[in-house]
Amino acid sequence: MNVTRREFGKLALGGLSSAVGISSLGSRDASAATTATAGANRSLIEGVQFGLQPYCYHDLPMTRENRPLLIERLLANGMGMVELMSPWVEPNFRTPGVTPEQAREKLRQWRLNVAPDYYLAIKKEFDDVGITVFTYYVDFRTSLRDSSDAEVDALFRAGQTLGAKGCVGSMWLSAAQRLASFPGKHGMFLGLHNHANLSDPDALSSEESFIKALSYSPDFKAVLDVRHFVAANGDCLGFLERHHSRVASVHLGDRRRNNGRSTPFGEGDAPLIEILRMIRDNQWSIPAIIEFEHGTLRSGVEEVQLMFDYCKRALA
Amino acid sequence: MKRTNADSLRRLVLCCIGSLGLLATSGAGADPSTAGRSYNAEFLGPVLDDSLIQHGKETYVVAGCAYCHGVNLQPLGEAADLMRSPMVGADDNGNVIGPVVRAGFPQTLSLSPMPQYSDLSEQQIIAIARWIHYARQQGRYKELVAAPDRRGDAAAGRDYFARACSACHSTERDLARIGRTYDRQKLRAQILAPDALNRQTSFKVDRRGDAKSLGRQRHGALLENYSKEDVSNLVSYLQSAR
Repeated sequence: MNVTRREFGKLALGGLSSAVGISSLGSRDASAATTATAGANRSLIEGVQFGLQPYCYHDLPMTRENRPLLIERLLANGMGMVELMSPWVEPNFRTPGVTPEQAREKLRQWRLNVAPDYYLAIKKEFDDVGITVFTYYVDFRTSLRDSSDAEVDALFRAGQTLGAKGCVGSMWLSAAQRLASFPGKHGMFLGLHNHANLSDPDALSSEESFIKALSYSPDFKAVLDVRHFVAANGDCLGFLERHHSRVASVHLGDRRRNNGRSTPFGEGDAPLIEILRMIRDNQWSIPAIIEFEHGTLRSGVEEVQLMFDYCKRALA
Repeated sequence: MKRTNADSLRRLVLCCIGSLGLLATSGAGADPSTAGRSYNAEFLGPVLDDSLIQHGKETYVVAGCAYCHGVNLQPLGEAADLMRSPMVGADDNGNVIGPVVRAGFPQTLSLSPMPQYSDLSEQQIIAIARWIHYARQQGRYKELVAAPDRRGDAAAGRDYFARACSACHSTERDLARIGRTYDRQKLRAQILAPDALNRQTSFKVDRRGDAKSLGRQRHGALLENYSKEDVSNLVSYLQSAR
């Protein structure tokens, strides 16, 4: 049956079931999801591996102290895979009375000196509940301004110890050039994450800029953020068709074209249903990492569940 | 009663959201313990007494502004700091904020340009601007109250007064001998939160545009743009009105 996206949205919203009950972490969904043996399969839907960029939990500050709550929420949403951002792992040195420069230096020293056991213990937290850390997201934009090679190596080692297959960063071309030699040394990939900046020639936002950046290293892969790509008037389906072998994951969210706003799934211009079916039908190993920035008055867990349910119906 | 007004408006907002079909309240998979719960906005903080401002806050969040600029204007990442933005400080009822929100900031060296929100209505823009100004005023008030009071420059205070206050006030008329009436500390407190304007707002009164409502708006606009020096200078100038 062919349905338009508008019709699909109505079907999906009309048939919501789990979103209402998910707001309580003690719900049936949550308890069922805590089965540790499920692992990444927990969010393997019709051959498409789903995961979450926990930036979506807008009501949960990203700190390492909140990591247990993060894990609870991932389980409540039935996620078996995560793209873990470094603030969930590293200490926050930006405390009152500490200047940004002092905090940066403290973080640098911490990264250079922390023992591998620290990361192994975090990996175990995720392993124990069956969540795969697929990638480790690092804010290279801040770190690269003044970081040494040793610190970049330490970041890749951290990702590797956490069990990640690659590090990911929001990227620009000159930074990608500098990072070209690092991922291979650690047996990892570097995921290049795009935004929607079409005015900066150094930005990673168009297919052309991706092609250029990917040419810098065989260890580079695209983390195609489809909502930003659409906002930059890119052709997501064409990109996947042409470059799927170099795509590590898609960041799944919705936005409107022409630098438009973020929207709930199905209300923007990203062809989410087609993307998911394309991955499924071609049996591509491209995880779909849910990430959104649209506003909502609902809790992060409820909103993630609504978007996840939309995806499940896309593949039903 | 005030809380009831705020809750009513919130219910109205939720009703509208619910009508989009986004909020299922029953279904095969629904947990009975949470059936009927429509949404969870605990992260927004307590419901504000002023229903218009609460509505502005919720509009700001639903539009997606909070993701980058923070619910209480604590920016994340590269987003503009609305608490300190001179552009926002120059806004009156959305006349500056509106065009920027509608067009976005496509030309930038930031990683992610501000999106355009060309589909927002005039009322949504006004509601968003109302929350931004309110949050700025709250934030600036806290900062200024916590700042140590240093002796200011009375001449600079006179210039500021002539520029920003003299349309409504005069040290020859309503503020004559104000320096004898209030000591420095009380003058400072009156500048930051005038007793005469310190009462709850209501939709009806604000719509009438009475003198106190206008005064509150003007003082609010001054408050969100005061520097610590401005306040110290004004206090020193008004102290000299004896």
